[in-house]
Amino acid sequence: MLARILEEHKIATTSIVMVREHAALVKPPRALFVPFYFGFALGRPDDPAYQHRVIRAAFDLLAAPAGPVLADFPEDGDPSIMPQASEVTAAPFQVSRNTADEVTALRAFYERWVVSHGGRTAVGLSGIPQRRFRGMVPFLEAVARGEDADFPERPAEVSRPQFIRYCADDLKAFYYEARMAQQPTADAEALHRWFWGSTAAGKLIADLAAQLNAAEDPTLRAIAYGLAR
Amino acid sequence: MPRLETLSEVQRRTLEFFPCLENDATPWMPPAQDLAHSKVALVTTAGLHLRGDQPFARDSAGGDSSYRVIPSDSPPAEVMQSHFSIGFDHTGIYRDLNVTFPMDRLRELAARGVIGSLSANYYSFMGALRDPSRLIAETGPEVGRRLLAEGVEVALLTPT
Repeated sequence: MLARILEEHKIATTSIVMVREHAALVKPPRALFVPFYFGFALGRPDDPAYQHRVIRAAFDLLAAPAGPVLADFPEDGDPSIMPQASEVTAAPFQVSRNTADEVTALRAFYERWVVSHGGRTAVGLSGIPQRRFRGMVPFLEAVARGEDADFPERPAEVSRPQFIRYCADDLKAFYYEARMAQQPTADAEALHRWFWGSTAAGKLIADLAAQLNAAEDPTLRAIAYGLAR
Repeated sequence: MPRLETLSEVQRRTLEFFPCLENDATPWMPPAQDLAHSKVALVTTAGLHLRGDQPFARDSAGGDSSYRVIPSDSPPAEVMQSHFSIGFDHTGIYRDLNVTFPMDRLRELAARGVIGSLSANYYSFMGALRDPSRLIAETGPEVGRRLLAEGVEVALLTPT
């Protein structure tokens, strides 16, 4: 849809699309369908040569004389499996683990990850420094129990429901990035199975999502979307 | 995307019944000149923004039609994501921003002369909007006007 709007404003567009069926309906001017899993629009992270092939294929569509153009990227995507919380069997020790202690244990790995990635981290939506995450955990645990808890460091301009979501997303990103430093060979499926099946944080986020989904307040139900399934 | 038949039933049904707007034809703007002489912008629906900028938010109507400006010379460490869908794998962008938002790749192409130049600004929206009416009426055209004013001739659009 956005490509059509930009094209109407005299910008020639070429789009990478991930749902071929939707592109066939919406009809962006030039679309390259890629057979990759959602989250991998350019195919493979840390593979510049592969990413350049995808970009080249998208730019090649600019030579088309008329549209709409819906082309297929001519290479197969890597198989990808993204198990959700409900699809992962919890490890026997998961219920006895403690999220705050996990945070402390993972901190060194997380910090190693950030250093090794030029300072880049997905953590930061909540505005709470990761060194304060141990303090943030009891807040999320209280919300997951249905309590009307708040966190004293919540920025005034961020609503409580939205802040809950940002804290949860920050906690997930902290865990995943720490794990990628702790076990650099872990593929995406292994990372998801570890988080949802072996960590106390995975159970906390799943409990939080269940609690928010059951809330009467529609703003709480809204921020539960995408938290866990 | 993995083809629909390879997805879980939940995800497949979500996509099959997603309320897409259908069109019979498409607007068409031929590139003003070849890519090696064109000014190129990145536009994404991955819900990206600068660290410190306002994250995207999910309202009860299920969408956020606003956009964020990301200067094209921003360091990747300053770009983050607040897309709230669970339908995509975040581990790719945790590892490498370029798998969704190829800032480094476009810089390389500009340095090699494959593309003429990069626009001063890139733009980011939230994808998977169930109600795109504000995007169509307001924020999309606003970005179109901004790109045109910045002399952009070609835009590469990426999802997440």
